[in-house]
Amino acid sequence: MACIMSLNEKAQKAEKPPIRIKADRNGFTLVPDPVASLDDILAYMDERLEQSHNFFHQTQMVLDLRTRPMRTDEISALYAELYEKSQVKVVEVRLSDSLSFLLAGEAQKPRPASKQAGRDRENRAPLIVRNTCRSGVRIVSPADCVVLGDVNPGAEIIAEGDVIVFGALRGVAHAGAGGERSARIWALSIEPNQIRIANLVAVSPRGAKPAANKFEVAEIQNGVIQVISL
Amino acid sequence: MAGKTIVVTSGKGGVGKTTTVANLGTSLAKKKYGVVMVDTDIGLRNLDVVMGLENRIVYNLVDIIEGKCRKEQAMIRDRKLPNLFMIPAAQTREKTSVTPQQIKELCSNLAKEYDYVLIDCPAGIEQGFKNAIAGADAALVVTTPEVSAIRDADRVIGLLEAAMIRQISLIINRLNAKMVKKGDMMSTQDIISLLSVPLLGVVPESDEVVVSTNRGVPLVHNAGSKAGAAFRNMAARLNGEGLAPYGHESRGLFGRMKRLFWN
Repeated sequence: MACIMSLNEKAQKAEKPPIRIKADRNGFTLVPDPVASLDDILAYMDERLEQSHNFFHQTQMVLDLRTRPMRTDEISALYAELYEKSQVKVVEVRLSDSLSFLLAGEAQKPRPASKQAGRDRENRAPLIVRNTCRSGVRIVSPADCVVLGDVNPGAEIIAEGDVIVFGALRGVAHAGAGGERSARIWALSIEPNQIRIANLVAVSPRGAKPAANKFEVAEIQNGVIQVISL
Repeated sequence: MAGKTIVVTSGKGGVGKTTTVANLGTSLAKKKYGVVMVDTDIGLRNLDVVMGLENRIVYNLVDIIEGKCRKEQAMIRDRKLPNLFMIPAAQTREKTSVTPQQIKELCSNLAKEYDYVLIDCPAGIEQGFKNAIAGADAALVVTTPEVSAIRDADRVIGLLEAAMIRQISLIINRLNAKMVKKGDMMSTQDIISLLSVPLLGVVPESDEVVVSTNRGVPLVHNAGSKAGAAFRNMAARLNGEGLAPYGHESRGLFGRMKRLFWN
């Protein structure tokens, strides 16, 4: 009986892998199964990379999370696994419209601000958000975070690396959340209620602000956050 | 016949959702469309008062859903327009007495028989909001030119997008043109650039709104009212009638002459 059970399980596994690797002309796309657990996904990827020898070596992949949302710590576990096994870089993460799942798993442990952490970050691909972040959205990225759209008041972008906004930044942005003081915040226009870099917090000055030229950068200079219009 | 189901929502309370539903519903009914307005604000119903129909309520939304009556029994016909109906909310129950699935079924049944189903959504983003948006295929987000209302509208738009409601339009209520000119109030452009959803119309601030609410007669019945005209224009745009987009309908002699030439 047990034998039959295990056979059945195997058959099911063969039908539905916990993560599918799709190939198209732009490269590889990883689509995790909506019900698969992280351990299954990691084990399966491990096996696939092992079997295919160097086929996936140093390739770039897209992670499609529209059917199975993953928490940031799960994404970083998968990143690390792929990079360690065959230097696969995840270059893009596709997210569904609802970003509420990012609110779960807030088990981000603060990382020590060391040079090692900085180098780690460079190996990680940035988290790309392809829509406007409205009030109530909270995005946590273990690396840089790129937002293609506005960040409205009430939204929060927290990244261990830089925060880059192709639009107006009006919500809260926290760059270098792990303590990286060289992190910067880039936006076409910075008019937030609060910006944070590493352990520093700044509020925008009262009153009207001159319009930005092309874009603005916030960085730490002499121990204070400065916003420079470029 | 498949009608359109539209939810009117805002997040913040007191910005004019119920007034909007009453006036848009009445305007559309005046154009001879079959319209049903559904009040989903269970426990805090208001639409019946605004429509002046509070003394005719026998059955309500929860009775339909619990199968205590047929939906025709709970639908109250308007005093003036025979093709305008309202389903009142229950006053003595709670938001949890209905589920989003049940509202969805009711709305799809209503949409088979009527041209427009307008849903009045409760304030907030909890259970009542989820119930109200479940059956909708389009949404109207009402906001006033205040930072708090706009923040809530932004949040609500995010939630609507997450609920796969693609057709979202904005209504700006209680705009005071004088204050905008002086720079004391956010302008229409400011609000649109922040919320980035298409604008359906702007309602000027007016004392007539309070009077019409207290009398229980929607403002659109009053031909001379500017706010009423704004609601009539919105109903026309909602109906897909080719009206100049907002901003071209400038007032004054010059504006009127320009409009005359345009047409």
